[in-house]
Formats: sequence, structure tokens, C-alpha cells
Amino acid sequence: MTRLIDPSLEKLSLIMSEMGDLSLQSFVLAIDSYIYGKNTVNQVRDISNEISKKYFQVADLTFEILLKYQPVADDFRLIRSSIEISYGFSRFGRYAYDITQVRDMFGDITECDKSWLVEVSSKVKAMIKDSVTYFAELDIRKAITIQQNEEFVDKLYKERLPMLINSNNTKCALAEALVLRYLERIADHAIFMSDAINYIVTGKHKLAKQLFPNDL
Amino acid sequence: MTTVFDTKQDNMNTGLEKTLPDEKNYKMIAENVSVYYDGIQSIKNVTMKFRERSVTSLIGPSGCGKTTFLRCLNRMHDMTKNARVEGRILLDGQDLYSKDVDPIYHRRKVGMVFQKPNPFPTMSIYDNVAAGLRLNGLRDKKILDEIVEDSLRMAYIWDEVKGNLKKPAMELSGGQQQRVCIARALAIQPEVLLMDEPASALDPIATQKIEETITELAKEFTIIIVTHNMQQAVRVSDYTGFMYLGDLIEFDETRNLFTQPKNELTAKYVKGQFG
Amino acid sequence: MMSSSNQKRAEYRTLFKQNVKGRLVVDKIVMGVVFGCVVVALVPLGSILLEVFKNGISALSIEFLTQTPGAIGSGEGGIGPAIQGSLIIIGMSSLIGVPIGIMSGIFLAEFGDNRLGRTIRFFNDVFMEFPSIILGIFAFLTIVLILGHFTLWAGAFALSLIMFPIVARTTEESLKLVPLTYREAGLALGLKKWVVTFRIVISAAKSGMLTGILLAVARIGGETAPLIMTVLGSSQFFSGFDAPMDALPLRIWRLSLLPYDSAQMQGWGAAVVLIVMILAINIGVRYYFSTKGKRSGLVSKIIGGKRK
Repeated sequence: MTRLIDPSLEKLSLIMSEMGDLSLQSFVLAIDSYIYGKNTVNQVRDISNEISKKYFQVADLTFEILLKYQPVADDFRLIRSSIEISYGFSRFGRYAYDITQVRDMFGDITECDKSWLVEVSSKVKAMIKDSVTYFAELDIRKAITIQQNEEFVDKLYKERLPMLINSNNTKCALAEALVLRYLERIADHAIFMSDAINYIVTGKHKLAKQLFPNDL
Repeated sequence: MTTVFDTKQDNMNTGLEKTLPDEKNYKMIAENVSVYYDGIQSIKNVTMKFRERSVTSLIGPSGCGKTTFLRCLNRMHDMTKNARVEGRILLDGQDLYSKDVDPIYHRRKVGMVFQKPNPFPTMSIYDNVAAGLRLNGLRDKKILDEIVEDSLRMAYIWDEVKGNLKKPAMELSGGQQQRVCIARALAIQPEVLLMDEPASALDPIATQKIEETITELAKEFTIIIVTHNMQQAVRVSDYTGFMYLGDLIEFDETRNLFTQPKNELTAKYVKGQFG
Repeated sequence: MMSSSNQKRAEYRTLFKQNVKGRLVVDKIVMGVVFGCVVVALVPLGSILLEVFKNGISALSIEFLTQTPGAIGSGEGGIGPAIQGSLIIIGMSSLIGVPIGIMSGIFLAEFGDNRLGRTIRFFNDVFMEFPSIILGIFAFLTIVLILGHFTLWAGAFALSLIMFPIVARTTEESLKLVPLTYREAGLALGLKKWVVTFRIVISAAKSGMLTGILLAVARIGGETAPLIMTVLGSSQFFSGFDAPMDALPLRIWRLSLLPYDSAQMQGWGAAVVLIVMILAINIGVRYYFSTKGKRSGLVSKIIGGKRK
């Protein structure tokens, strides 16, 4: 029997999965623009704005559901996590836009070495995709792959950034530094989202361990 | 004016202390309780433990046995024909159902408030609250006055009725009548207070006042309340027990039971997918 | 889809009887018939009262009310002893019958939900229908014959036998009308069962019980047959519990059998007195019980107040 809350929950899930698809799209476009020099700034900017709009929609919808239905159990956990997850998606879009802007600002970067980007961008792409699927299917194994990918990105970030100090091409070094930073941020947000999705499934928060590893 | 939210906040902060393992803090323990009506088992071997100065709510669909179970706790089933109760109910370690315990004595330790407000119709407010005392032999007017005022204060209704305690209790509104009944139950100085859907016959404002009263009383008494209103259970109680068809399906801290129920049936019920 | 369900509903509506005017007329006719039956029932009552007062009012005087009967046929004297006797015998019978009746009623209501209770109830109902002459004969055989003389106790005994089934029944019904929840509330306060019954339930059932008692009193106020066999009647005022005594029904009976007009008129007068006396007892008792703490309103007190 459909409860009063069910249509609203469906609408919520729909908006969030749309946000997920859009954020994946924006990321792919952004990376393409960097590697192949395509100008996709406007496209990605539009997509990012679209995602932001949906973020506010989600916020309104969540609070409306709380007001009307006082959800409990897994409904409640879904609502609770929706804000963090939708924020994550909006960040993906935003950082994608930032990456396209690098190419835009710095102009011609065809001479820079972009080989390092190929593997890490595919891993980050996988992380975004996994986040979307994890939310849709609530399959807890995705959390593990996201975790693994994040470790890779983190490692690369910590390796390459110091190397850039000794680079002789300032433009490329700065561009790479910025992109590395944005990738690291995307990966970080993916972990936040994964934890929020984990809360939906298990009812437990995991973040404390990550945020404050020195406290425990 | 304090609202339910303010006081609940206090409760939530101290809730953490109460969850620390301290077995001695059980005021009342119902052990392997079963109830048979005409040979048919309606409560199936239920065990529940109630901590001191806490509010426990019993939820479940109609007919699941929560009221039947509640009535075991003060031996109300002694009055019911064809009802047989098995198991032990321990109050401060002493079994209520043992042969050498006088049920009347224990009903004074375990008070009850009923679903529909039932102040004695021919008595004034004062007489109603004093009824349990007077009819049990207490005559001293000074002490009666003291206890009546104290009870009415605890029930959050002293200010509304202090002007005319001789007024017939039936002339009050439903919510006020219910609070007078609460005062009446408190007057005999119980240690545990049982409440059978105390606000279900009342309008929302009266309900809110009753909930505020319950939260205040929980600082001194152990309260067990049966409710069919899940939001009320969430607002008011520290622990919740979910019953279905005479079985206790799940019993946990309210926060946990409503956000991460361990049993699928519980999840279905609290989400409103049946019942 | 929507329009077809609208259509269906429109169809259904046409199926209802449309003759509203006709049905209003039927309504009025039925009301009229019901009202007519009530009138038919009340008319004899009213005419009796009218007849009695019309014929008897002229006999009333202080002398009539206080003096002993004069010589037969003289038209002098009064019914003083009869009034006194009636009051005494009603009082004595109530003293015996009411407490027993109330106790039985309490037993049946609170502890009577079993075989024994059902049996007692059955016999109670049978007893209520007993011809009063038989009760009178019974009292005669058991008390008067044994003692060898007429005595007021026999009369009170016979009348109490008529009273107590009525009181028992009405007490039981009134107690049963008190909702279970008040008993439960009392028990939940740790009160013993008899305390709950006597201090809480009875005060809630007071009004109904009183009605029952007054009904029984009115009933015995007019009983003649049992008194013939036990109290006999006399022309003197009360002269001891073991002597015959007069009572209004007996006096009315005696007077009505005499062929003198004056006696007949005195009979009517006695009838008026009897009716007024029963009425006065009713009103008086109700007034007394209702002034104990409730609000004012003379009419509502007499009629018995609202049922909440």
C-alpha cells in the first residue's frame, strides 16, 4: 500500500540520481577539455548550475518531508543523508567547472605533460560513478572500491605536488597543481558521500575516524 | 514557558549515562510473563526491564497485547474473569505475583492512569485527588492538604484549579480531568506510574501538556506508557518496546528503535507499512 | 473513468425514493399515532386524579386529618389514625426491606456474574410478581398465628417482602450503569473491593437507587391485602407494636364499603390524602438528597437531574 510519504521519497531519489548523472557528465567533459584542449567551459558551467539548483530543491523537499511525515527508520536515514549526498554531487559539478576554468585561464596548455592525468582521472570518474550507483543500489561493496580509489588519488596527490616545486615550466606546474587539488577534493567528497550512504544502510556514522584519526 | 523540546533536550543529554551498563538500575522487571484468556495465550512469554526514572513506551498495532501486558504490572487482571497470568513481575526485586504479596499493597506502589479520563463523578477536585488517601485511612487534614497540593503541582494543574478545589471534577475539560487523574494516582506516592494511552482522548494542546507532565515526572518516577502514537513515543520516551500479537519483537532505546530498528517487522510498523 | 463514476452516482441518486413530501406526511402521521397512544395512556390516569381530587377535596379539614373515625354513618370524625398508621408501617417496612434490598442489589451487581447470581436474580424477579395477598397470608401464618395476635411487625414483614425485590433490582441496575472505569480507577489506587463499591460506586449510583426505593415505597403505600391479614385495621391511634393498627388503604376500603354518603366522601378524602402523602415523600426525599452539595434548580432536583 502506498503511504503518503512514498511519492515524496521517490521524487527525492529521482532528483538525486539526476544530480548524480549530471555530475558524472560534467566531470567527463571537464577532463576532456583539459586533456584534449576542448573548450567546454560554458557547458560545464551550465551543468554545474543545474546541479546547484537541484541541490536547493533537495533541501526544500527534505525539510518538507520532515515537516509533513516525521519519517522514521530507513526513511529517516535516507532523509538525513540526502543533504550530504546532494551537497557532494553539487561539489562534483563545481570542481568540474573549476577544472575547465584552469584551461580557460591558462590558455594553451598543449605542451604540458598530461599522461599522469589519464589514470587518476579514470579512477576519479569511477569514484563518481560508484557514488551514484552506491546511492541507487545501496550495495555496500561499492564503499570499498570508493575507499580504494580515494587512497590512490590521495597517494598520487601527495607524490606529485612536491615534485612540481622543481618543475621548470611554471604554467604547467600551476595548472597541474590546481587540477591535482580539484581531483583530491572530488575524491574527498566522494568519501563523505560514501559514509553518508553507509549511514542509510547501517545507521552508523563512520566519519569521526577519518576526520580525526589522531583522536582515537 | 518550557516546551516539550526543552525538557527532551535534557533527557537526551542524560540518556547517555543511562545506557551505561548498570544492571542495578532496574526498578521493575517483567520476567517470562504470559497471559491466558479462557485458555488462549494472549501474551507470549514477554520479558522487559524498566530502568529507574525513565520513560518506557509500548507500541504496536491494536490488539497486540500492550494494554494487557501493562495491566499485568499492577495485577489488574486479578479482576478479570478467566484470566490467568504466569511469570514474575519484580518491583525492586520483589515478585508481585508471589503468594505472600498483597496485591492491594502493591497497587499503591504502582499507580495507573487510564485512557479516558475518569475522575470520580460525584467528587470534587480535592476529593478526587485525596480519594486514594482518605479511603485508605489517612484523615489528617493538614497532611491531606499538603499532599493534594503537591500532587496537583506535579500534574501541572495546580495553578489552574487552586482557586476552587471544591468544584466538581466533572466540570473540568478533558485535558484537565486527565491531569487530575494523574494527580490522583500520584497522591498515593507510587514509585512506578503506568499510563494507558493517556492522551488519546484529548485534543492536541491537552496532549502536549500531558507530554510535558510525563517528561517532568520522569525525573522522579519510573513511567511506562502505552501509546499508539509513534511520534508521541519518540518525543516522550527513553526506551521503546514494540509488541506484535502478544510477542515482544524489539526493545531498545527510543532513538535507536526509530532510526535503526533491528527487526524488519519493527521497521515496517514504525514506517506505517502495516497496522 | 471519472465521468462514468459520476454517471453511476447520478444513477444511484435517482434510485432513492423521491417522494419527500409524501414521506414527511408519513412522518407526521406516525408522530401523531405515537402521541395519541401516550394521550390514551395518560387520560385514564389524569381522569382518576381529577375524580379523586374532585370528590375528596371537600372532605378535607383539620378535623378530618387528625381525629379518629366517628360513629359509623355519622359523617363525623376523621382518618387521623389511618394517616399515622400508614406512615408508621411504611417506615417500618422500609427499615427492613430497604437495607436487605440494597445489599442484595450490591451482591448481584458486583459479585453476581455466575450461576448463583443468575439463580438469585431469577427468583428475585419471580418474587416481584407475587400476589401480595399470598405474602400477606404467609406473614399471617408465620407471625400472627404463632404469636396469637395481630402485630405491626407482621405487616412490616409482609410489606418488606414486596419492597425488597424492587429495591434489589433497581439497585443492581443502577450499579451496573456505573461505568467499569470508575471501579478500575478505585482499584488502581490500591483500594479494597468493598471500599470501591461502597464509597465510590454507590455514590455514583445514588440517584437511580433512590428512584428504586421511592418506587417501592409508593408501591407499598397502597397495598391493602397484606395489611388485612396482619394489621387488621382499627379505629384507634397507634397503641403498641402488638396491637392492630389502622392504615390509609384499609380505611379507604372500609369506608367505601359503607352505604352512607358521608362515608363515601370520607373515603374519597382518604384517597386524596394517600396520593398526596406518597407525592410528598417522593419530593421530600429527593429534595433532601439533592441539596447535599449540588447546584440549585428545584424542578431538576425533583425530577432527578440530568443523566451525564
